[in-house]
Amino acid sequence: MLILTLITPDLYFSPAGSKVLEAFLTITYIDAANGTATRTVIGILALQGAFVEHQAALEKLPSSIRPEVILVKTPEELQRCDALIIPGGESTTIALVARLSGVLHPLKEFIKVKPVWGTCAGAILLSEAVENAKKGGQELLGGMSITIARNGWGSQVESFEAPLEVDGLRNAEQPFTGVFIRAPVVLKLNPTPTSPPIKVVSKLSPDLLPPSLSSPDHSGEPKIFVALRQELTEDNRFHEYFVKECVLSSKNQQR
Amino acid sequence: MSTPALGTPSVQTPPIPQGVGSAAVPSPAPARAATREGNSLGTFGVKSGLAQMLKGGVIMDVVNAEQARIAEEAGACAVMALERVPADIRAEGGVARMSDPKMIKEIVDAVTIPVMAKVRIGHFVEAQILQSIGVDYIDESEVLTPADDEFHINKHGFKVPFVCGARDLGEALRRISEGAAMIRTKGEAGTGNVVEAVRHQRAVMSQIRKASVMTEEELYVFAKEIQAPFHLLKETARLKRLPVVNFAAGGIATPADAALMMQLGCDGVFVGSGIFHSGDPAKRARAIVQAVTHFNNAKLLADVSENLGAAMVGLTIDSDLKGGKYAARGK
Repeated sequence: MLILTLITPDLYFSPAGSKVLEAFLTITYIDAANGTATRTVIGILALQGAFVEHQAALEKLPSSIRPEVILVKTPEELQRCDALIIPGGESTTIALVARLSGVLHPLKEFIKVKPVWGTCAGAILLSEAVENAKKGGQELLGGMSITIARNGWGSQVESFEAPLEVDGLRNAEQPFTGVFIRAPVVLKLNPTPTSPPIKVVSKLSPDLLPPSLSSPDHSGEPKIFVALRQELTEDNRFHEYFVKECVLSSKNQQR
Repeated sequence: MSTPALGTPSVQTPPIPQGVGSAAVPSPAPARAATREGNSLGTFGVKSGLAQMLKGGVIMDVVNAEQARIAEEAGACAVMALERVPADIRAEGGVARMSDPKMIKEIVDAVTIPVMAKVRIGHFVEAQILQSIGVDYIDESEVLTPADDEFHINKHGFKVPFVCGARDLGEALRRISEGAAMIRTKGEAGTGNVVEAVRHQRAVMSQIRKASVMTEEELYVFAKEIQAPFHLLKETARLKRLPVVNFAAGGIATPADAALMMQLGCDGVFVGSGIFHSGDPAKRARAIVQAVTHFNNAKLLADVSENLGAAMVGLTIDSDLKGGKYAARGK
């Protein structure tokens, strides 16, 4: 399972924000209960960016689902994790420091088999293709069959907040405040027969899209805010999911 | 004084900004009341949020697109575009102003990471110009010659966020009260000497520790003593850290300097003259980036500090310091 959000972590401090985290954790926790692990270990990639915000949000969860949280800077720390969150930051910096720290390859392997959630820069790193990359291209971790554009709305003065309806969250009728800071935008889903299916749980309203995407020429393209990926090569561990329909249908497929 | 066109229409109560945690001083952040309907550009959450994305990173001074590319390749999380690095401003003297917008635009086009630029203290028109060309952050900087020796820019009216320097907690909270969404130390730029940045960071942290155990009555008096707005001081005491992101700046020249500032509780590091005035800028830049991530790992710090070539020539900070002490500019 890969969870991809283009929002920034500070929104998790809004009352609605913790819902996403809780849903994410419920899944990994249930999985741990079925297995041998006593307590789920969730790692937060702490190379650069807003990783402490994720940590604080996780530690605020009710004790029944609160995981052990570790900051991940080395391959040894990554090895301890049952799931990983890649925070917002600068994707170019995170990728470079990951390579220099020797965690780039372990991360790629981790993503193939374990749940990973990417926010903002983390979402860029999880994509298979990126537009507005730095000159000469940039390294990605991959894992999600999507094309993403960095800085989809332009510079910081275009950054904004907007309420979002997210399927499958607790109290879903209460909108989720998305914070878009030099945010990336998902341009295309590129599902292939071999890649796991992608479920979109929320879309930004069309009038808030970057002008280039809301023009008639592009109206057919999906405008995605949060995308979830069901990693079907992995068994039933990721089923209790944000999206009820998504969870149920996957279970049926695998049993 | 006439009202600046882009200033706030009237006096407003500054919002209590968002809290942030740092690696050295972890703390939960307060909830943000983001209940506004619809699209909201330039909210304080959006402004301070970008600073949160920069944490654990290195922001490098660059003077042209080529240097900006070197910085981006070396892992900078943002670049600061300016005409002369502080060491040259210090050496050459004269009035230092906002950079040529054309040069800033070239840097914006050359890189994908955020681009910051400096304005003179109090020069709100330079800030209006930089906002209009789309820079991502403005540094109201004492490194440039102040345009106003009494007033800072009213930063609430701008969509673009501001970073300001501070020597102690009172100064930091006054800047936040004026709308700064990020704070940095006011170490002596262009000296390659980290002593002043250390002094400022220690002062801020020490005052926060004091405030954090005070009763409300004591906080009222402490706010008066350090000339800080009470509501911001109270929030700082509750969080046990500054309510916005706090970077180190001024005099940082080596990976060890950067890690020192991180261990003293900074969220990230600005490096000015230290990189492009050294023997091998790309290598040194990369080493400082790694040092900021792994600031607690002495073995790794030793590895990245090896064989970096000549560091910038440093200056001692005394009464003969060429260009004078910049930190005294702006209060």
